[in-house]
Amino acid sequence: MQRLISWVGAPEVDWDAAYAEQLPRVYNFFRYRVGPAEAEDLTSRTFEKAWVARDRYRRDLGRFSTWVMAIARRLAIDHFRSRRSHLPLEAGLDVASGPSPEDLAERRSDAARLARMLEKLGDRERDLVALKYGAGMTNRDIAKMMGLSESNVGTILHRTVQQLREGWDQRGG
Amino acid sequence: MDERFMQALKSAPDPEFARRLRDQLGNEADAEASHAEERPRARWVGLLAPALAVALLASVILFPSVRASAQAFLDLFRIRNFTAVSVNPERIRQLQEGKLDLKSLIGDRVETVIEPGPPQTVASAAAAGAAAGIQVKVPNTLPSGLQPDSVSWRGPGEARVTADVERLNSVLQTLGIRDVAVPMAIDGQKIEVKVPAVVRQSFSAGKKRAEFLQAKSPEVSLPAGVDLAALGEIGLRILGLERAEAQRLARSIDWRSTMLIPVPGNAGSFRQVSVNGQPGLLVAAKGERSGGQMREGAIVLWSRGDMVYALSGNLSEIDILQMANSVN
Repeated sequence: MQRLISWVGAPEVDWDAAYAEQLPRVYNFFRYRVGPAEAEDLTSRTFEKAWVARDRYRRDLGRFSTWVMAIARRLAIDHFRSRRSHLPLEAGLDVASGPSPEDLAERRSDAARLARMLEKLGDRERDLVALKYGAGMTNRDIAKMMGLSESNVGTILHRTVQQLREGWDQRGG
Repeated sequence: MDERFMQALKSAPDPEFARRLRDQLGNEADAEASHAEERPRARWVGLLAPALAVALLASVILFPSVRASAQAFLDLFRIRNFTAVSVNPERIRQLQEGKLDLKSLIGDRVETVIEPGPPQTVASAAAAGAAAGIQVKVPNTLPSGLQPDSVSWRGPGEARVTADVERLNSVLQTLGIRDVAVPMAIDGQKIEVKVPAVVRQSFSAGKKRAEFLQAKSPEVSLPAGVDLAALGEIGLRILGLERAEAQRLARSIDWRSTMLIPVPGNAGSFRQVSVNGQPGLLVAAKGERSGGQMREGAIVLWSRGDMVYALSGNLSEIDILQMANSVN
């Protein structure tokens, strides 16, 4: 029935439904990709950009979720570029002030442990992990998005998770 | 390999954050709407879509059955003609604000029989036609410098809708329509909707866009013995027409072959046109942008044999008609 409507009227994306569906995926993508502290800010920016660029979304070329995730990935790349240029100053402040009790408690949590382990991954591996475990994408969709073969995605993910697993077991025991 | 530890970082967004961001995006949308932004097609189609949904509800869902039989689907609806009716924008706003769109009205009463699947982009119109099982036509004249952009097709779909008299009566009540009621006889009746495969061709040149859709006519199988005019009248009342006007129009329309397109009075105008000798309907956007510039946008709908066609874009009426008439 909906197709009958879209066939004639080509209605726009249902933004309310799209927002409700995609918000958790985008938010968790950033939690895995850049870390929990900046996930909300980058999620906001993703949806703002998506809203501004909504005319450029072409439903015949791909799913809306893929389009939004492509925006999120570009923002993550920009974020790391920007952060690298500020890293020496931020790193210096961190060392100078030292961890607070709250920081220490947080660092003991599983989430913080995983976040710290993800920070040590290469860009591509962390991107893959964020798309898979944060955004919940299938290997096939990740492969299309990153221009890799599906088997390549599977292999890299397997190797990366295995590496993380070893680190998790060593430190968590 | 145990991957449960990989879920450790997953978390639901803070509800307050989700609400704040949603409000922020909503405010941006309101601000854009108040400034009559520069997206003519998206805007006016957005205005038309809810009305169209209601029209379909009127012409497809609300069919009463005097001698209904659960198994007998003897009447068949196929699109041969398109007719527009001007509707009050205030009623459209009322339907939108009350969330009385098609989805909310029948959302849990639809059973998908065949899932059409996502659109598939292909290399050519011929490839799309082969996939969709139709002989695809293409426009030979592309005005305003338009160039072919992409071609896609989507598979056929089929759904079964169960009429819900209580819900439809409550819609009438909500809209303050107290002098009509949906006959109880149709309650629980099943209506089958078949939408054949659709081929979509996109064209663009800068900010100019056009889309050409073609498919075999959708079919709606109805319970036997329905009083189409009576139900059409109810649909027209939902769209905001006065009783006398709804009755007059309902009796003059052939509901078995006519798709009704409601056009909000402030969003568009319409007229009958000829497309390659076939009767068609042209609906054009109207209104001004903030700079005094006229908005452009139009849809032309027509049928030939068992095929139906829709060409839309942010083009002038002349360009849209020229493009439509070049289709072969």
